[in-house]
Amino acid sequence: MGRFVRMSLLGVLIAAGLCLWAWLGYVAIDWAGSATFELGWGATLGQAAAAIVFLQLLFVMILATLLMVAERKWSAAIQDRIGPNRARLPGLSRFSLGGIPHVLADALKMISKEDFVPAKANRLLFQLAPVANLLPILCLFAIVPMGPPVPVRHAFGVLFASLQIANPDAGLLYLFAIASLAVYGVALAGWASGNKLALLGGVRAASQMVAYEVALGLGLVGMMMTTGTLRLDAMIQSQSAGLFGTSWFPAWGLFVQPVGFLLFFAAAFAETKRTPFDLPEGESEIIGYFLEYSGMKFGMFMMAEFVEIITLSGVVTAVFLGGWHLSPVLDDALASAAASLVAWRFAGPPDPGAAALTLAVFQAALFAVKVIVLCWLQLAIRWTFPRFRYDQVQALGWRFLLPLGLVNVFATGLCLLLDSSLGLLGALGLAEIALVVGATLWSSSRPAALPVAAAGGH
Amino acid sequence: MADPSAPPEAARLLAQDPLAAELPRRHMVMNLGPSHPAMHGVVRSRVELDGETIVRIDPEIGFLHRGFEKSCENVTWTQCLPFTDRLNYVSSILNNVGFSLAVEKLCGIDIPERAKYIRVIGGEVHRICDHLTMVGAMALELGAFTAFLYAIEARELLWDRIAEQTGARVTTSYTRIGGIERDLPDGFLVKLGETLTRVSELVEEIDKLLTRNRIFIDRTQNTGVISAEDAIDYGFTGPCLRACGVAYDVRKTHPYLVYDRFDFEVPVGGRGDNFDRYAMRMEEMRQSEKILRQAIAQIPAGPVILDDWRYVLPPKPAVYGTIEGLIAHFKIVMEGIQVPPGDAYAYTEAANGELGWYVVSNGSGRPYKLHVRAPGLPILSSLPHIIEGSLLADLIPTFDSINMIGGEVEQ
Repeated sequence: MGRFVRMSLLGVLIAAGLCLWAWLGYVAIDWAGSATFELGWGATLGQAAAAIVFLQLLFVMILATLLMVAERKWSAAIQDRIGPNRARLPGLSRFSLGGIPHVLADALKMISKEDFVPAKANRLLFQLAPVANLLPILCLFAIVPMGPPVPVRHAFGVLFASLQIANPDAGLLYLFAIASLAVYGVALAGWASGNKLALLGGVRAASQMVAYEVALGLGLVGMMMTTGTLRLDAMIQSQSAGLFGTSWFPAWGLFVQPVGFLLFFAAAFAETKRTPFDLPEGESEIIGYFLEYSGMKFGMFMMAEFVEIITLSGVVTAVFLGGWHLSPVLDDALASAAASLVAWRFAGPPDPGAAALTLAVFQAALFAVKVIVLCWLQLAIRWTFPRFRYDQVQALGWRFLLPLGLVNVFATGLCLLLDSSLGLLGALGLAEIALVVGATLWSSSRPAALPVAAAGGH
Repeated sequence: MADPSAPPEAARLLAQDPLAAELPRRHMVMNLGPSHPAMHGVVRSRVELDGETIVRIDPEIGFLHRGFEKSCENVTWTQCLPFTDRLNYVSSILNNVGFSLAVEKLCGIDIPERAKYIRVIGGEVHRICDHLTMVGAMALELGAFTAFLYAIEARELLWDRIAEQTGARVTTSYTRIGGIERDLPDGFLVKLGETLTRVSELVEEIDKLLTRNRIFIDRTQNTGVISAEDAIDYGFTGPCLRACGVAYDVRKTHPYLVYDRFDFEVPVGGRGDNFDRYAMRMEEMRQSEKILRQAIAQIPAGPVILDDWRYVLPPKPAVYGTIEGLIAHFKIVMEGIQVPPGDAYAYTEAANGELGWYVVSNGSGRPYKLHVRAPGLPILSSLPHIIEGSLLADLIPTFDSINMIGGEVEQ
């Protein structure tokens, strides 16, 4: 009971913290945007700079470091262990604080370790590889819209503040372009280390990422066709409607494009190089492409992994989970709650600007919660499955995901031709979900195919 | 006159073209071990790779060689027991039992009923420990860390019971010539039953995580295959042989101790691949639990060691109170048990196969010669035969499923 209360309190605190973060983000982005506009540099510059601080530094980096602890704690919970609880803050030595001080301890450890470069390594490329790995992955998050655009009235006009660093028209194409750059870091790390095992890891990583790049793209093509846009905020907007003419069933990408979701999630999971796709690491076989790295250089590889998890969660949330939308009914309820909160807080005439900002803050927090839930899902998968074999991963990518993606594109096109209101597509999607769930239940109800035959005595 | 075997003109010209010539290729030679996460104990494997395909593998043992057989010749028969612990250090009671049976066969003595049951109980608990280790390590090295920790949790619970029973978690030295070292502590059997219930829960949990996991099946099924004929030729015994479909279990075919009184089955596989070897272990754990439950129900009261001062240390009151006791104590401690001259071979079903003990005595109180047929050595020696031509990644489950234990292979 006490634990339940503590956990509920923690949940409320996290939600409140996310709301505070979103509110500060909106205010800061608007302030910076108007400041640079008045300086004559354009509003985009200030908005993007403030968004980088609030999204990349505050959200992504903090969540990534917390995920490192969360992974250890969560895996411990799965495995009947306690997990890290030894590192304590000075003055708070009675509290383990959920292992969070281990973030500091790990960072200190990595910074203070010897920065080792093997004698046979290619010095320049060896030093460059961790950066080449982390940088594209950090850039990926730039197009993830964490909150809706909010109009703010200024003396010179109306500025739209949005929790998004950049909103190019190319949208998802930018995602594909940058995501495929990340392979250079890994391949370079494997090759430049001058180590046979690391080389094998680098080769594995390169071939795996090439194989899954195609499925990654095809998984999103269906959603591009359905929503008719490449921009993530427009995709989110088109998911706010109800499916089948109802107002309670959301037209999320998950429901109209379940195959696309599976494809993209599997392919993106493979890109993060975590179990079951951790062949480039394969710690029991080839130790991994980062075998020769120590200290913070290794830390950058690790950080890249966690940032990739968050980016993947952000993109999936935006494209498949309706972004900051629930179903239309719940959206309306949230909007009226925001309006009444504003009316209660600021007595006087209704202020549409404040109401819109409050709603946007709630919606940004909702987006963040969806991202965190997806991160949790990825941790749970990571700690449950064994890893594939090299040729099996290739077979899965080329022989299964690629044809499936092509079939999905054709099926989506056909459905849209016959019924452009998404009704037919939604029905197909629900049928596909039912099929997958049914097949899973059916196969798990069968007894295991053990070769064991009892040979009773001689 | 044209040579018919000469290549056609176009191919010959092409072969002269330096741009079209085949690039020089050579195989990558790599050391796996002696310090490598997948090499249990310290084994070095020199692996020749073509891409990721293993062309040649050369397992090199000996890093853990301790001169077990020679060491035994320098100590009394009883003092050999601690050495036997360190053969298969995951299931040491099974080694203790095998050695004691061989010496007792040479002496021609029969141990008390209760001691036989306690030997079976200790041995079967350790068999479960051994199989848990193998299954867990296999899961771990295939990337399923969680299943490994479940196995280790179950093994820890059993090791707690072993510690209560023998006083040590790993190196037990539990048997003596003529019986066992000490009786079970109070309430042990009830506790053991409860532990077994928890252990079987964990085993079923592992079963759920692995046995029907598509990835696990893909990784293990049809990898590391060996046929029954080849397995017999190489000298396979135990679960690895039974995975090939040969129903040979010493406990059934040549029952020793009281194994003929228990109702249990010998699981047999079909394909002789890694998955079957894994499945054998899972099923044998269930059968061992069955044996243990029956042993707990059947175990009689009585002494746990012979009352024969030629082989067994007299009780302390007799040592301090009687001249006969004092002399017997002195002679056993100083000269060792006087095993009659001759030789004997005794074999038991250890966790990984037939553990054979060939003992030779010249009547001097120390072994004249002692040889262990460790089940792991013939199985390990088949590794190149099994694995050459398959992928490097297949080496991992194969090396796990044959469960090579450095201590007994390298002695």
